[in-house]
Amino acid sequence: MQHTKDKYGETGGSLIVKEEMESARHFMETALRLGASQARISLSKSVLDSFSVLNGELDKVTHAADRSIYMYIFAEGRYGTFSTNMTDADKAEDFVSKAIETVKMLAPDPHRRLPDPARTAKDAQTGREAGLYDEEYGNVTSEERLAAALSGALMCGEDKRKGGLTGALVPGKDRQADRNGAETGMPAGDNWKMISEECEYSDSVDDNYTIDSQGFAGRHTETSFAFCSEVTIADKDGNRFSGYWWESSPFRSGLDLKDCSVAALRKAVSQIGPKRHRSGKYSMVVDRSVSSRLVSPLFSALNAMAIQQKNSFLDGSLGQKIFPEGMTIMDLARCCGRPGSRLFDTEGVATADAPVILDGVVKEYFVNTYMASKTGFAPTIEGVSRPVLMPFIQGGSSTGTGLVSEEKEVSLQDILHRCGSGIYVCGFNGGNCNQTTGDFSYGIEGFAFKDGKITHPVREMVITGNMISLWNSLLAAGSDARACTRWQIPTLAFEGVDFSA
Amino acid sequence: MTDRRYYLDTFKVTEEQMGRLVAEALAQGGDYADLYFEYTTYNDLLLRDGEVSSGGFHIDFGVGIRVLKGERTGYAYSENTGMTDMLAAARAAAMIAGGQARKQVERAASGMMGNDAGKTDIGNAGYGGTDSGEGWQDLYPMRQSWRSARAEEFLPFLKSLEQKITAKDGRVTKVIARLSDSQSDIMMFNSEGELTCDTRPLGSITASVIFCSGGKTENKTVSRSFRAGAEMVTEELIDEMAAEAVAGIDERFEAKRPKGGQMPVVMGAGASGILLHEAMGHSFEADFNRKGQSIFSGRTGEKICDSSISIVDDGTIAGNRGACNFDDEGIPGQKTYMVKDGILNSYLHDRISAKWFGVSPTGNGRRESFRFNPIPRMRATYMENGKASRDDIISSVKKGIYVDEFSNGQVKIGEGDFTFYVKSGRLIENGRLTAPVKDINIIGNGPQALADIIAVGNDLKIDNGTWTCGKDQSAAVSCGIPTVLVRSLTVGGN
Repeated sequence: MQHTKDKYGETGGSLIVKEEMESARHFMETALRLGASQARISLSKSVLDSFSVLNGELDKVTHAADRSIYMYIFAEGRYGTFSTNMTDADKAEDFVSKAIETVKMLAPDPHRRLPDPARTAKDAQTGREAGLYDEEYGNVTSEERLAAALSGALMCGEDKRKGGLTGALVPGKDRQADRNGAETGMPAGDNWKMISEECEYSDSVDDNYTIDSQGFAGRHTETSFAFCSEVTIADKDGNRFSGYWWESSPFRSGLDLKDCSVAALRKAVSQIGPKRHRSGKYSMVVDRSVSSRLVSPLFSALNAMAIQQKNSFLDGSLGQKIFPEGMTIMDLARCCGRPGSRLFDTEGVATADAPVILDGVVKEYFVNTYMASKTGFAPTIEGVSRPVLMPFIQGGSSTGTGLVSEEKEVSLQDILHRCGSGIYVCGFNGGNCNQTTGDFSYGIEGFAFKDGKITHPVREMVITGNMISLWNSLLAAGSDARACTRWQIPTLAFEGVDFSA
Repeated sequence: MTDRRYYLDTFKVTEEQMGRLVAEALAQGGDYADLYFEYTTYNDLLLRDGEVSSGGFHIDFGVGIRVLKGERTGYAYSENTGMTDMLAAARAAAMIAGGQARKQVERAASGMMGNDAGKTDIGNAGYGGTDSGEGWQDLYPMRQSWRSARAEEFLPFLKSLEQKITAKDGRVTKVIARLSDSQSDIMMFNSEGELTCDTRPLGSITASVIFCSGGKTENKTVSRSFRAGAEMVTEELIDEMAAEAVAGIDERFEAKRPKGGQMPVVMGAGASGILLHEAMGHSFEADFNRKGQSIFSGRTGEKICDSSISIVDDGTIAGNRGACNFDDEGIPGQKTYMVKDGILNSYLHDRISAKWFGVSPTGNGRRESFRFNPIPRMRATYMENGKASRDDIISSVKKGIYVDEFSNGQVKIGEGDFTFYVKSGRLIENGRLTAPVKDINIIGNGPQALADIIAVGNDLKIDNGTWTCGKDQSAAVSCGIPTVLVRSLTVGGN
């Protein structure tokens, strides 16, 4: 890894080096020389190393190093996008000339242009400003990666030699709290045995350098350290159950992998003995690890492209109170040092911390330069960066009221108790949301709960409804979003959801 | 001999260099090593608001190097084929072995002439210029290479598609039409001395249509995808897609959610093959079974469903999206019976699992690109015909649901629980199709659903839509099925 400091800014330890930046600039200048009126060039490089462990033994080692140049060409009122991983400067002439030739075959589109230079980011020069680069990255050795992968595995050493872990569930105990063994929290017995355990440690660095012909130059560099574990068990009847858990951090010191496999095992074991639950309307609590699944359709529907194409159930919602009083989603893109932070979007437009939905009112469509010209909407940002759904309790004085919720701490247990009984959803199995109508149907996995306590796992259930109706039945949003995720979506609770079984 | 020179020139390597790379990959004691060279070009044209005003092309080039040590895998790749970078990748992949070399490269240099069992050293020299081995038939010959075609040749077809859809239904508000193609030159070489070359075209056309009427909005998407050259784009295909794009829209505006719960489900011929992909196919992929994770683990040879049922994963359908002259380990494409006459006959194998199970590879070792190691993947998955007629199957159901259009599915391998999302269908009441339904998820359990198939139609249809499987990596697949009746599945609803 090269360390340089020059007119391109402090780039010590980053992947993209001066020569490659000059190559990107050469691609852009070639495009302008060959007939482009405007151009944007995005140069990306990344390196990923991963070590996978199967049943306590090294199973797979991967080293991946990628690079690509992405070109956005505007010529004679026309527009095209082109990419190649053959990024050497001597390839530019041929590649760009073919790109220009292709663009000129397309129909003119007067709405295509680069963004207003005044809107582009000026504060992302070194790539480090977003605070997501760990200087430690370059010091990680292969031996340390292997050690990390092995250290996070349950099925190793003594356990492996015994032929894997076994355990038993204690009837009547709270499955979530069922952890009382020294190693896994599972008491020894014969109610289940571990079939397989797959763990993976990985670390990576991603470096992007974007320039345009109006003078924009932006850099974003981030590191990531991650560990995931998937455990499959069989109960005494041979029925298999699997559990998955992961941890990640932009910083090496922030990765806590020691309980990851235990969490995966507990998730698997907790599913033993599922029962069919009767169809009906139930309160639904959605675990923080999967709750973003229900937020994603909102962001898709708020994209100006979907709205312009009449393919959005939130068409006409801007400035309207569509969601319940107190429901607030902020896009905190500039919360530097947190996963998901970024200072500019793919157009180079500067991000800003801003509400997407404020007290139930839609405050922002995602409008890029093209869609702004085409629709007349004010340009904003291409898409959400780091959404944060604020804590929320339906009704009463504890309702969140905007940028800062009055309810500081809302835990899963608080929410389960508030709901009393219902279905606690811990995973989605397939399903979809019709972006045009907002109608959705998802398979779910999880648990029935009563009096705020989990009673048993449920199987083969489907939830069905409409996104706007669902969100208007929001009972609560916790304050427990996982720190490691880009989308800060906490535990959610809804009332009166249709479950089929 | 085939024109191996085309591929060697494309990747700027010599046979001696490949032998040296494999030797380096095995230097730490690996049992097996292979090289996967790929040069892929992609083109894309998009019609929106009546004009083809967006498009582009993309190039991907590189080599993946894999080392196996038992079932363990070391993998690395290089985005250029200079020896320095390729050797570095080979050394990185070799780390998996982490010991002294136990096995020398077998026939690495001299073996370049090898043509074992007629499966190696067979390929085509770029598009069209096939110089195939005896008895070998290219499953996707191109009359016109995508690389030689000019974008402007396709603009009229996309405009025609948009105009024909719009002309057929006054409720059409928006049409987005897209033509995407790719062409991949692949060269594989391994430590067994096998050299395999292939050129793989893939063309896809998609139309997404928005309809507005009486204040309501509906959408529909149609697609076609084939492993074929640019000659696949014809006015006949455009006509076919335009007709399908507006078919059934009246019903969609009328459609409602059914009352949810367990009920008999008649799966219409064609796209309902998603049932096989999700409920059975993934669970038959041998990596899951090798690790004991699949609900079908250890059940080879068992009777798992009615003896009238045979389920196939087939890489040999000419021009099909899932067709493979060779898989991505150089194994010839083949037709594999997963279930034969109701008996679990075979898992879907790559080299690792085949060796582990002591069987021959089934040609299912596939990968998204040179950036990924191959793993067992499906190709074209379908059920063979039964004897019942579609009408008889529907009329046998007193109260249930008929489904025929889908968007996506998913499965939990261990538990076997699968789902798929139904975009359109109808209620069945007293043996007749009645009220239209839409936007419902169906959930079931793979082995149970398979055992619950109680009628198989005689109208097998392969669906040629843009099916893409997302098991860690993307893979182009297809599916098909005759009309079948599943005794009971859980249907989402109000």
